[in-house]
Amino acid sequence: MELYKFLPQTNCKKCGKPTCMAFALDLLKRKVKIKECTPLVEEDKYKEKLEKLKELVGDEEGEEKELRINVNEDDCDGCGICVTVCPVNARYCYSTLSGKAPEYPPDSHQLFVVKKGKCELLALEHCRRIAAEGRERECRVCETYCPREAIKIEYV
Amino acid sequence: MEKITCTGCSLLCDDIIVKKDGSNIEEIIGACLKGVERFEMISSKHRVLKPYIRDGDSLEEIDWDTALNKVVELINKSNNPLLYGFSNTTCEAQLKAIELAREINGFIDSNSTICQGKALNVAKETGFTTSTLTEVINKSDVMILWGFNAVESIPRLLNKILFSRGKFRMTGREIKTIIILDPIKTDSFNVMGPRDIALLIEPDKDIELIETLKEICCTENALPSNEVAGLDKDDFKRLQTNLTNSEYISIFVGQGLLKNQEGKNPLKSLFELIDIINERNKKGRASIILAGGHFNMMGFEHVALSNTGQNQSLSFNNHQLIESQETIISKIENKDFDLSIILGTDPISHLPMRLSKKLASKPIILIDNSRSGTYLIADLILPTSISGLETDGTAIRLDNVPIKLKKVIDAPQNLLSDEDLLNKIIEKLREKREGI
Amino acid sequence: MELRLNSVRMINHDQSKEFSLGELDIMEEELAIAYINPQDFEEMYLTASLKLHISNENGEIIVNFEQDEDVPKGTVLMPVSIWSNQLTTVKDGEIVNKNIAVQVEASRDPPTKLNVIIKKIRNE
Repeated sequence: MELYKFLPQTNCKKCGKPTCMAFALDLLKRKVKIKECTPLVEEDKYKEKLEKLKELVGDEEGEEKELRINVNEDDCDGCGICVTVCPVNARYCYSTLSGKAPEYPPDSHQLFVVKKGKCELLALEHCRRIAAEGRERECRVCETYCPREAIKIEYV
Repeated sequence: MEKITCTGCSLLCDDIIVKKDGSNIEEIIGACLKGVERFEMISSKHRVLKPYIRDGDSLEEIDWDTALNKVVELINKSNNPLLYGFSNTTCEAQLKAIELAREINGFIDSNSTICQGKALNVAKETGFTTSTLTEVINKSDVMILWGFNAVESIPRLLNKILFSRGKFRMTGREIKTIIILDPIKTDSFNVMGPRDIALLIEPDKDIELIETLKEICCTENALPSNEVAGLDKDDFKRLQTNLTNSEYISIFVGQGLLKNQEGKNPLKSLFELIDIINERNKKGRASIILAGGHFNMMGFEHVALSNTGQNQSLSFNNHQLIESQETIISKIENKDFDLSIILGTDPISHLPMRLSKKLASKPIILIDNSRSGTYLIADLILPTSISGLETDGTAIRLDNVPIKLKKVIDAPQNLLSDEDLLNKIIEKLREKREGI
Repeated sequence: MELRLNSVRMINHDQSKEFSLGELDIMEEELAIAYINPQDFEEMYLTASLKLHISNENGEIIVNFEQDEDVPKGTVLMPVSIWSNQLTTVKDGEIVNKNIAVQVEASRDPPTKLNVIIKKIRNE
């Protein structure tokens, strides 16, 4: 009942649950999200509790956050490793298999393209972290192999 | 939309797509920063479009006729001209340059003499196993970058060799191993995976390392007991496993391995190491690829070899090739020249100060398309079109494969190509000679 | 302090090869630079506002510097350029541009100007 400690414990019923304990249980089962507890989010005195709770729920809360792949344009030198190494690109753009640049105009599934010596993100919705199932969802190859460390996968 | 070959570096990527809008290039897809740099040269505000002549500290614009007459005058005054550069131009222009050197009884050398071309001189004695990039992509399972920072000098190389999925290497990166041997932790170290090896070796100790590798490739139990070149027994064990059990080893040699160490040439030892691996490794083979920088560095070697029988440092007398031990360095060092013609390179930026000073003490004719350090000291500057973008031609890739270059757009202000300009100079010289 | 100088090719070097006469500062910014290890930085009691005075028997230059953990301790890294060429030399018919002994000191003077070097090259 770790989670209960960081709730307001006022049983205000604003979330639609009869008690804070019930809310905590549902939070554990991921039936509700933290932001549904409005006093916790809105009132300043609960700020610390909110932070702690977010830390605890952390990654389990993934659905709430949005995937971002940030490409740092200053660092990128357009080597195209991300284009070649991305498994989605490899599947839909045949020429990347031999390390060549994909055809243009790009396939609708293509994730990365190098334009004017800088990497650009095209269709994030086809990224494995969104579209794939199971272990494939944990794909991080573009971030791992970027020699300039210009690609960062983040959830915001 | 057009597929063209990029001339940014010696990899000569042939998969670059450009979108044109009249005489402008609108979009460049697939090229790295180095390639884009070359495309941007076309419309750069720093581009040289008119011939200039030096008048003290300032440069004065002149017309083409005056400029060409001045060239002929300078050449006719000179008894011992020096021609240098030629690795940023097409093979056709290189052929013309050799013809010009023959015509004016000069000494001609290319950038490759002080770069990767050194390896070919060693190879004359020992022989040399090489392979093409396609072979590396399809077969290679171990790649060694030796004193070579691929990420900075040939950005797309790792993409092509390491991350591609070849015919016999279907799963790509997963079954390719990369070994990086460098004294400095470069950006190339960031592509390391769990099975790869990155080793920091002590500077100028490559030769010791190669000698030890030769031993451990011959006998299994010859692992050194103490540190060699900053590497311990475990490192050697891993290197031994990779060198003796791999199917196809490709070694990329960079600038770091070209300098003599303790009076010995590390390249010679490296070639011997390759021979040992090839002899003893029943499963596969090893080969070397020289990773030069300029896009047609290998071109000059091939053109000169097929045209004269000697691959670099050509000395002409009486319109005949003569035997000589001189190189571009010894020529400048001994001030054994009275005029220099420099094409498509920037010696001030890559030669030591001592040589730059000596080079600047004699008249310089610079044939180039953008401003550089040498532009600030040259006496006569002749602009040309950009090879491979504004002119057709042939270039030789780093793995000695000739590649056709396709013209993308027209040169501004009817600039001549390197080839045509050199041809014009030769014609003018012959006219003048016959006139007398 | 005595360090070893390595000059290497960097991708930015090619980018700043071009410059216009009016924009000399850009070239100085890009190429008149040295990278040193943070430990050497501390040992020399440097601060970010200072410059580095690098010299050996071939010549001397003043350049900006940056700290870089990837540079091995006891070495200085510079891009191959007119600036690093002040310190390189020729030995036995070969250019020596790696592993050169140099004397490095802190300096308050501005980085060496390009036109100063060009003048030096022209007036032999």
